[in-house]
Amino acid sequence: MNLSLRLQKARALTRRHFFKNAGLGFGAVALQSLLSREGAGDDSGYKIPAKAKSIIYLHMAGSPSQLDLFENKPALQKLHNTQCPQEYLAGKRFAFIKGTPKMLGPQFKYRQHGKTGQWISELLPQLGKVIDDVCVLRSLNTEQFNHSPAQLFMHTGNPLLGNPSMGSWVTYGLGSENQNLPGFVVLSSGGKTPSAGKSLWGSGFLPTVYQGVQCRTDGGDPILFLSNPQGMGRKARRETLDALNDLNRFQYQTIGDPETITRIAQYELAFRMQLAVPEVMDITRESQKTLDLYGAKPGFISKAESAADPRTLYKADDPTFANNCLLARRLVENGVRFVQLYDWGWDHHGTSPGESVDETLPIKCRQIDTAIAGLLTDLKQRDMLDETLIVWGGEFGRTPMMQNNRHTELKKGFIGRDHHPHAFTMWMAGGGIKPGSFGQTDDIGYYPTENKVSVRDLQATILHQMGIDPHRFHFAYQGLDQRLIGPTQQGQVIQDILT
Amino acid sequence: MPMWNRSLRLCFLFVGYVLVAANCGAASPQEETVQFNRDVRPLLAKHCLACHGRDETAREAELRLDIRAAALKADAIVPGDIAASQLMDRIRSKDPAHQMPPPETGDRLTDNEKNILGQWISAGAAYEVHWSFTAPLKSALPKIKGADWPLLPMDHFILHRLESSGLKPTADAERAMWLRRVSLDLTGLPPSLDEAEAFHLDRSEKAFEKVVDRLLDSNAYGEHWARMWLDLARYADTKGYEKDRHRNIWRFRDWVIAAFNNDMPYDQFTRDQLAGDLVPNRTTNQILATAFHRNTMTNDEGGTDNEEFRIAAVKDRVDTTMQVWMGLTMGCAKCHTHKYDPISLTDYYSFFAFFNQTQDADNEGPFWPTPTKTLADKISSTKALVAQLESSKQQRSEKFLNAFELWKKSINGESLWETLALAEFSSNKNVKLIQNGKGQLIAQGERPDKDTWTLTFALAKQNKKFTAVRIDYLPQATAGGEWPDANVAIRELTAELVLADGSSRKLKLKNPRASYSQRSWEIHKSIDGKAETGWGLSPKFNQPQTGIYEFDTPVSGEKLKLILEQEYGEGLLLARSRISISSQPGRWLAPVLAPDLENVFANHVFQETIEAEKKLQGAKVTLKNLESQIPKTPVMLELDPGKLRKTKVHNRGNFLDQGQTVQPSVVSLFGPLPNGVSPNRLAVAQWLVQKENPLTARVMVNRIWARLFGVGIVETEEDFGTQGLPPSHPFLLDWLAVDFRENDWSIKNLLRTIVLSRTYRQGSQITSDRLTKDPRNRLLSRGPRFRLSAEAVRDQALFVSGLLTRQIGGPSVMPPQPGGIWKSTYSGEKWKNAIGKDRYRRGIYTYRKRTSPYPAMTTFDAGSGEVCQIRRVRTNTPLQALVILNDTAFVEAAGSLAKKMETEPGSVRQKIAVGFRIVLVRDATPAELDRLVILYDSLEKKLLNQESLLRAAGRQSGDARLTTVANVLLNLDETLMKP
Repeated sequence: MNLSLRLQKARALTRRHFFKNAGLGFGAVALQSLLSREGAGDDSGYKIPAKAKSIIYLHMAGSPSQLDLFENKPALQKLHNTQCPQEYLAGKRFAFIKGTPKMLGPQFKYRQHGKTGQWISELLPQLGKVIDDVCVLRSLNTEQFNHSPAQLFMHTGNPLLGNPSMGSWVTYGLGSENQNLPGFVVLSSGGKTPSAGKSLWGSGFLPTVYQGVQCRTDGGDPILFLSNPQGMGRKARRETLDALNDLNRFQYQTIGDPETITRIAQYELAFRMQLAVPEVMDITRESQKTLDLYGAKPGFISKAESAADPRTLYKADDPTFANNCLLARRLVENGVRFVQLYDWGWDHHGTSPGESVDETLPIKCRQIDTAIAGLLTDLKQRDMLDETLIVWGGEFGRTPMMQNNRHTELKKGFIGRDHHPHAFTMWMAGGGIKPGSFGQTDDIGYYPTENKVSVRDLQATILHQMGIDPHRFHFAYQGLDQRLIGPTQQGQVIQDILT
Repeated sequence: MPMWNRSLRLCFLFVGYVLVAANCGAASPQEETVQFNRDVRPLLAKHCLACHGRDETAREAELRLDIRAAALKADAIVPGDIAASQLMDRIRSKDPAHQMPPPETGDRLTDNEKNILGQWISAGAAYEVHWSFTAPLKSALPKIKGADWPLLPMDHFILHRLESSGLKPTADAERAMWLRRVSLDLTGLPPSLDEAEAFHLDRSEKAFEKVVDRLLDSNAYGEHWARMWLDLARYADTKGYEKDRHRNIWRFRDWVIAAFNNDMPYDQFTRDQLAGDLVPNRTTNQILATAFHRNTMTNDEGGTDNEEFRIAAVKDRVDTTMQVWMGLTMGCAKCHTHKYDPISLTDYYSFFAFFNQTQDADNEGPFWPTPTKTLADKISSTKALVAQLESSKQQRSEKFLNAFELWKKSINGESLWETLALAEFSSNKNVKLIQNGKGQLIAQGERPDKDTWTLTFALAKQNKKFTAVRIDYLPQATAGGEWPDANVAIRELTAELVLADGSSRKLKLKNPRASYSQRSWEIHKSIDGKAETGWGLSPKFNQPQTGIYEFDTPVSGEKLKLILEQEYGEGLLLARSRISISSQPGRWLAPVLAPDLENVFANHVFQETIEAEKKLQGAKVTLKNLESQIPKTPVMLELDPGKLRKTKVHNRGNFLDQGQTVQPSVVSLFGPLPNGVSPNRLAVAQWLVQKENPLTARVMVNRIWARLFGVGIVETEEDFGTQGLPPSHPFLLDWLAVDFRENDWSIKNLLRTIVLSRTYRQGSQITSDRLTKDPRNRLLSRGPRFRLSAEAVRDQALFVSGLLTRQIGGPSVMPPQPGGIWKSTYSGEKWKNAIGKDRYRRGIYTYRKRTSPYPAMTTFDAGSGEVCQIRRVRTNTPLQALVILNDTAFVEAAGSLAKKMETEPGSVRQKIAVGFRIVLVRDATPAELDRLVILYDSLEKKLLNQESLLRAAGRQSGDARLTTVANVLLNLDETLMKP
């Protein structure tokens, strides 16, 4: 008998034997795959009709200035370069502002866009063109004024480390639509991970299978350890997995542990991922027209991505973020539940080179403007916008005063604003969100004056659109029914912005 | 673990229910009766106590149901009378205005739940203290049928429960399987083939015990069990938050390893970590232990409020202490009175007060020097050497003294210096210089702001070769004169030699040195040719100072002329001075006012003392060098009594909104503080381990149990409170807890008590009967089979392949991880893949960065050390498959294992058989071997690029196909599971 016949016979034998004896377990357990379609949340009736199937969350790490992008404040412009009134300083904690700073008017021109006539600064002209699909939330406020705690609060509902991120909660509750891809994918650009690091996509006290999987676009494996060792091709891997599975089946016959069956299934899933992930991550498969729509460039690896301090290397035509936006669409299209984009470099204090409102912000805006407009347009033309929720924002806002700890006077390339937790702008689109504008702030954009939105409201609304009742959805841990929106009833769905 | 399988879980709950009752039957058979703790309290907690419980701020209608008297008073419960009990009326009501829980909560009781409450009220509505809040007692062993099965007391409890649920224990595992299991459990490493062989041959009574003793005595034991504790201690090598910079705290990790290896009793272990700094006659090791609570995070992000993060750290210490030692969750009481457990808001902040008095404040300090034993030994032996050399220096030998006398005579006049006599003086201004009888030069006349002086001295003996000139500065107190003391500013010194023929030449000066130089006005600047720099003395111009300049080459002549440019400031002139000259070798001349001839002789002339001095200086350098290597560890130190902080309640947990002041106190339900102690952390530690504490021993015993059997007797290891799950074997838990305490809190003894049991010896075959009746093996109807921990997965692969570096302790290491993982904001720290032996250290030594943990570890459910991790979940994911299939560490392990196989004589089949035995400590079945040989054969021809694969596996040459087979062996389900 030649080798291949012997092989076939051996395999047939083991398989038949296996299925005959497997009986209990295989179907039940293997289908209880961790990446199941159903999710694994405690069955406490938290599921409600969903508006969106997936989320693309665009986080501008560092926090862009709402006053230079969305909040047109002529009154603040009038106060430009005057001493800040004490009422805005007394009893306040700032990250860097010392003493009495000067007021800083919007640094860019504003124009009205779309049918609703929304004010958008000249830095985001492309977004202006699709603004009729967007709901601008102008009255966000948060409890945290330092990056790491504020980012954690935004994404995990707690300023301290150790809690599951929104993406983990959502995939825990809803599972994934694609059995060959992770349900929660993270893409980053801007050269650094956000301040709070990988804890922002950690699974906290939820099983680690729900942690975000960072897909990398810098030339290495798109998912860590995805590639076989050098010299081992896919066929050889198949051979080894066949042998491995057969031996594991022998083990199952002897011991009868359903866990063994799950392991076989997971090795098979890994094998499928080895093919599926590079495929979905390959944007060369897109038409030139689509690439142009986003401003994407396949294979581009930015120098900023590996620099010790990327900020001074930022270029307006860097397509890294655009590539990630296009990837986000491809991932969502393939059933990924939660795609999280982080773009670092939005912390424009004006103290060091490469972090000013007047010079760096325009560069960062060019990097995202076409890309985001392209993403919205593309989703819409593919009839995907309705079922995809887009969220854009930072972790807090920026002060209407200039930051004065390094430079007390306005200086080109060093105009900056400090962290501002009291009022800032985010926007949402698609996924059952009604376009328009929601909430208002006072004349200088210091406090919300109408329809104040807390971070917990935002989280509640996101879960709600995904088909999860944010109040009922919990996980028992440390004596509490832990929830993304925290233990109190503070977080409420923003009903007014829903279609 | 397959995802929380709902049907299995329900099934378990059902079985658990019946069997708890059955086990309780050992004391009082009450299977039919509703019990408060088991049946009623969970219902009240789930549906009622949030609004009618302990938390007065959340309490509705002023009704509490957690206290019997209160519930009776309000007629909510009328014992024995369901109809009269308001509670029953409300939960049965369909009227939305009347019904409880209120319809808007969406919470409803099932009919079964209503029945339980009804039965309980009918039977008299008895309340009980929560089971874990009363001290454990050692009960009598339960009666069993299969009396020949137990080996140890604990087996009785297990068998009793198996018998009452109609199950039989599984037959003993093969001896080799037991060996692999116990080795992995006690050391995190599998047995070697030699160890397996030795055990196989040892048929004595004591064979099992001998193995256990050997494992407990090995260093690997501490390395394995320390990992469990480090999860609780939230150990990491970085500080957390945005910058997440390096933290030097690995000495604490090593302290934990040593504590386990030395079997430090758990009460001491507790005391030293919580309050080692407060122990009388504390040792360095005890202070080091307090780093336990310095593993809290600190936030280096710019612009943060240090007090905010200090308080966050203190709260973390409070929560962690209660979680780790008592299995209670205090976290909720930060913001409001605990709704279910007896911990109020005030209780929380009173307990917080104990921990609120340490010096640290969101920064790394205070530090403590914590040398390793090797380093400490080296330092102390070097110190001894220095002391010995110093002391022999004091005792001059006769030989030395004689030689010294001779030498003194040989140098002219027993002096190194001769004071020069002033021959001429000129000033650009009107200054006069007078030389007194002591040879001192005193300036007189009006003191100008700036001046340049020319001093000319006669050189007495022209045949002498002079080597150096010296300028002494003298204060008024020493030499008198009219000018008050002021700084000097000698901007430039020029020396000229006048020869007999009247001609003169400039002398080059070198090696300037001074007894003192003002900062930025060092003496060498007086001869640097630059007009704007010079030698100054401030602020030490009220004492004599001296400066020496050597001549480039020894000179002789008629006169020496010195030009002093003092063109700086106001009156910074050499008011009093003395100029001397030497004809001795330059190295003998030190910048001191009174040269010590004996030192000069000893250090420069006499060979024996020169050697001794060299040795002394060498030893001192070594000592300094060693001392600079002492790791400094962040530790807990109490504030000075005068600086103690006042602790106030933080309203709703907000530290900016503080209420009433509280004094340090413990939750009294768990016993008072021991008599006569000061209310500090040390008292807390004593309170935790005193006999009255109902939880500490139970919690630790349960934790150890869970590591061995996969699930704790109390599954919710983190919650022994009323919200936690009830124990599967309550009497066993208590028996073990008391036994643990009675045996001097010895963890090794506890482990011995468990792993030598019959229960632990069972095979792990799962029959469908057992899967139905005992799906998660809570009843221990079979051996504990579950996936190894992240560290054990790595360590085992390195061990079987022969790559593992057996070095205990030291700074954390960086085994290979894929590039580009660390991209921390601002910190600039980099991961550098280790080469050499650090590449193959045990997982416990892998560097842990909180915001970017080692990916291969987190994939296998290791935490990041951000917060206390009481237990790790066990997942089974495709990403784990990718790690073992493809991660460099595992590919290199496969290469190295293949190398071992290649060196075996015989056929491929025999080689593979050996590899199999190395990994799994058993012989492969013929079918298994067949299949692997088939794989080997199938890999011929084009399937593999042999060279590339070998390179990836860290090999120069060899059989790539065997490397592939080894890769399969390392990925086997059986390999990844404890057998």
